[in-house]
Amino acid sequence: MARMKFLCDAERCIECNGCVTACKNEHEVPWGVNRRRVVTLNDGLPGEKSISVACMHCSDAPCMAVCPVDCFYKTSEGVVLHDKDLCIGCGYCFYACPFGAPQFPQDGAFGLRGKMDKCTFCAGGPETDQSAAEFKKYGRNRLSEGKLPACAEMCSTKALLGGDADVIADIYRTRVLKRGKGSEVWGWGTAYGKPEKGATPPAGAKS
Amino acid sequence: MQVGFRRWLGAGLAALVLGFTVPVTAADTSSAQEQAARQQAQPGNNSPVWRDVRSGDNPYQTTQVRGVETSVLVQTEGETWRQLRNHVVTVYGGWLLVLMAAIIGAFYAWKGPIKLHDQPTGRKLLRFAYWERTVHWGAAISFVLLAVTGVVIMFGKHVLLPIIGYTLFSLIAQLSKLIHNFVGPVFAVCTVLMFLTYVKDNLPKAHDLGWLAKGGGLLSGNHVPSDRFNAGEKAWFWIGVTGLGVVVSITGFALNFPNFDQGRELMQQANVIHAIASLLFVTMSLGHIYMGTVGVEGAYESMRTGYVDETWAKEHHEYWYRDTVAGDKSRSDSDGGGTAKPAVASAMKEGWKS
Repeated sequence: MARMKFLCDAERCIECNGCVTACKNEHEVPWGVNRRRVVTLNDGLPGEKSISVACMHCSDAPCMAVCPVDCFYKTSEGVVLHDKDLCIGCGYCFYACPFGAPQFPQDGAFGLRGKMDKCTFCAGGPETDQSAAEFKKYGRNRLSEGKLPACAEMCSTKALLGGDADVIADIYRTRVLKRGKGSEVWGWGTAYGKPEKGATPPAGAKS
Repeated sequence: MQVGFRRWLGAGLAALVLGFTVPVTAADTSSAQEQAARQQAQPGNNSPVWRDVRSGDNPYQTTQVRGVETSVLVQTEGETWRQLRNHVVTVYGGWLLVLMAAIIGAFYAWKGPIKLHDQPTGRKLLRFAYWERTVHWGAAISFVLLAVTGVVIMFGKHVLLPIIGYTLFSLIAQLSKLIHNFVGPVFAVCTVLMFLTYVKDNLPKAHDLGWLAKGGGLLSGNHVPSDRFNAGEKAWFWIGVTGLGVVVSITGFALNFPNFDQGRELMQQANVIHAIASLLFVTMSLGHIYMGTVGVEGAYESMRTGYVDETWAKEHHEYWYRDTVAGDKSRSDSDGGGTAKPAVASAMKEGWKS
């Protein structure tokens, strides 16, 4: 089974925010929720670099480890998903996540957090694949349709790669060899530097 | 984890050092200048940028997405927080609670409740006025709600979840979070009122040391005289109600109101301090609740009705008893007052029923 990963080629990203828009459009996410964002380093200076970042679907995901209701689960493809029916909106995953992936729509006064929302690698949630309920809570389930994440598919410079880790790593390696620079694979050490954990869904997760 | 610790420490130290030596603006731009220089010498070498990505210190980091710290690519403090919370606070804090409950249970089985030695006189003394009782129970009820819901949020995953399953536990946890968030500010207000109401009679006195040295007679069963509040109660007041109460309230506010756009590092630190302080608080409260209910005969009635029997007052708070019957609250000498005429009549007003 393939292990799904994201890879952003900082040598190619032109900060067009196409991935951000594609994601919002594909999943019809509510206002204030940004599953993906583009960060520009040294903006306006020599050596400017842009990077698209969302949930990296870590091998030893901190969100899973700290969730007080254990609402996260990992698919057999390494995609970290969560069950919004179980989520209590405590915000712990947001504290723990290195990438700032978990998002919380405000639910009531005083910044009360609603159910957490984050990138699903376009793999939906625990509901039946491609059901209306699944779309409403998690957005489109493209993986079940045999498609890859919308952000990566939409990327105009093919800077953002999403898919089987071995395949995208090969693509990246070829690029680095050809251009002779830019070999830094951003975020991979943080996301995939630890042994894989929790690759089976919890007993309570509906699937 | 260690890297994170060093960053927390390092940030503080760096702020100190930089504050005294170089202007902060120079420090901000140095990484950008370094990258510019590197670009000239070795085109394509972006290592200064990648160092900045991990440290998150580059001020020229932008994003079009609005929100808290959206321009930060990697925050490493989250891992520190995870290790502290999951492997230190949860583990040791959980066993601390179990240990305290076991000690109290063993003590109860061994010694049983502390009963009165003499017969009750039937004459009652007012120990807690209406306002004092109101404040106490306001704080007590909100504290218990917070303690129970906090324990559910912290330990439920390991204790309740395997027993009752995901759906039911999620419901309980959701309810716990709501109760915790809304009762928290109430408790903070009660903490302030508790302090103002009870501080006068909790000021430490010299004879408190003697009480502590004798362990309050808890083990020996001997009678150790004390003021209105003994040294044990004073310790609970200063360490628990005041010290830990203020700590959990301040850190609680930082966690309860994310709409002030505070950063993650602040909330991680607040969470760890909040968890440690509240676990100590709950541990101490188990002792207080035990002494106030089954541990000491007549203690619960004193806070429930406000009145205690004269025998109870004499046996548990002798100095206070003497002052009260002498009608003089500002006791001047330690052994005087015993000869004063009993002024129980004032206490035998309405509210005395037994």
